[in-house]
Amino acid sequence: MNEEWTPLDCLLPSALLRACADGAANQLYNITAGDRDKFLPDYISGDFDSITAEVKAFYADKGCRLMETADQDLTDYTKCLAIMLEEIRTQKLQVDTIVTLGGLAGRLDQTMASVETLFHALSMTQLPVLIIQEASLAYLLKPGNHRLGVNTGLEGEWCSLIPVGGPCQTTTTGLKWNLNDQVLQFGKLVSTSNTYEPTAPGKPRKPVTVTTDQPLLWSMGILIDGK
Amino acid sequence: MNEEWTPLDCLLPSGKQRICLIILNQPLDKNHLHVLWSKALLRACADGAANQLYNITAGDRDKFLPDYISGDFDSITAEVKAFYADKGCRLMETADQDLTDYTKCLAIMLEEIRTQKLQVDTIVTLGGLAGRLDQTMASVETLFHALSMTQLPVLIIQEASLAYLLKPGNHRLGVNTGLEGEWCSLIPVGGPCQTTTTGLKWNLNDQVLQFGKLVSTSNTYEPTAPGKPRKPVTVTTDQPLLWSMGILIDGK
Repeated sequence: MNEEWTPLDCLLPSALLRACADGAANQLYNITAGDRDKFLPDYISGDFDSITAEVKAFYADKGCRLMETADQDLTDYTKCLAIMLEEIRTQKLQVDTIVTLGGLAGRLDQTMASVETLFHALSMTQLPVLIIQEASLAYLLKPGNHRLGVNTGLEGEWCSLIPVGGPCQTTTTGLKWNLNDQVLQFGKLVSTSNTYEPTAPGKPRKPVTVTTDQPLLWSMGILIDGK
Repeated sequence: MNEEWTPLDCLLPSGKQRICLIILNQPLDKNHLHVLWSKALLRACADGAANQLYNITAGDRDKFLPDYISGDFDSITAEVKAFYADKGCRLMETADQDLTDYTKCLAIMLEEIRTQKLQVDTIVTLGGLAGRLDQTMASVETLFHALSMTQLPVLIIQEASLAYLLKPGNHRLGVNTGLEGEWCSLIPVGGPCQTTTTGLKWNLNDQVLQFGKLVSTSNTYEPTAPGKPRKPVTVTTDQPLLWSMGILIDGK
């Protein structure tokens, strides 16, 4: 994919479809108190071992679809993504990106499970699937060439390339510390606390380009309240 | 290493392991801090961790003075730096940009252990598994480096998660302290791992763990008969494999 794609573009409104994975419905219910009718998901899926009875009843009453998915081999996130892709197909929607809110904090195994879902996503869809939580974004780059727009003004100061699955032969441009056909690998070289190539005042930031031979996890900071 | 080793021994007040403590720049759990601090033979802060320590020990700071604070000092505040310097804590500026503050702090810790000829069983790190995703991954990278820096186990604890990198070979993990949370996990962070386990609810039988194929998350322990102690978890792996487990906080 050599067209430029901007990860943080998604923080501008608006979503065509909205879903909660199991206990995410509790989170949504709590944070939208006083305004809940404006935040009704299209569906809630999962094995329903986290959603409370009260929250489940509330959304069911409002007409949100509840889709119980009992498959124990796949996480609630993977299952929710599969349903989302099916909905997009069925409704023939034109979609550019699937954005996931949450999944990068809390239990360490859950953070890793979220990354595993990104791996599965590579074979489930051509659409980019990204995860945002607090001030971090994660996006798995499939093998090949990528051009990432990083000039929204929402980018935090750090970015990172993490060879989670295994060694990645990597070349980049647009970073402060670029890689020149080098192997990223845990125990040898992992790019963390990297940042963007400085630009002259008034000039837009150049896109970051990344070439990799294996799936490579791109992660970047998001400005929250201007910092 | 086929002797049994218990990851959560360090949080047991009655635990037998002799530990050294490294604190990283993340919000600190007060209970974890108190238990680990009281047992540690050496205590260090990596850069901004000193700010965290300073804040959480207000009113009692003299009882929580680290042996040294190391790092490039771009996070520690001037006030905190001056406070600990006045109290006689060593400030060790390490400007190496290729290594993280955590890796550098660990290197100094190992040197101190050698110099002072201390008998140590485990190096415990507080913080490093939450916040920025790249920092979580950088902490895991330090665990990889640690495998070639020392034979001592190096583990990381933050909130209700523990992380420990299993080097290639056989491991026997004690999981019967009563502090174990309900979940555990084997994560092939660096690449594929040929893995066999016992003692888990979902064991691996000479299977390959690999991102995109099989990652063991939300696993748990083999059920035991009432009154019987939990059997150790054994893990055999051909590559470094990240073990992660939940810690009971306030009984849940």
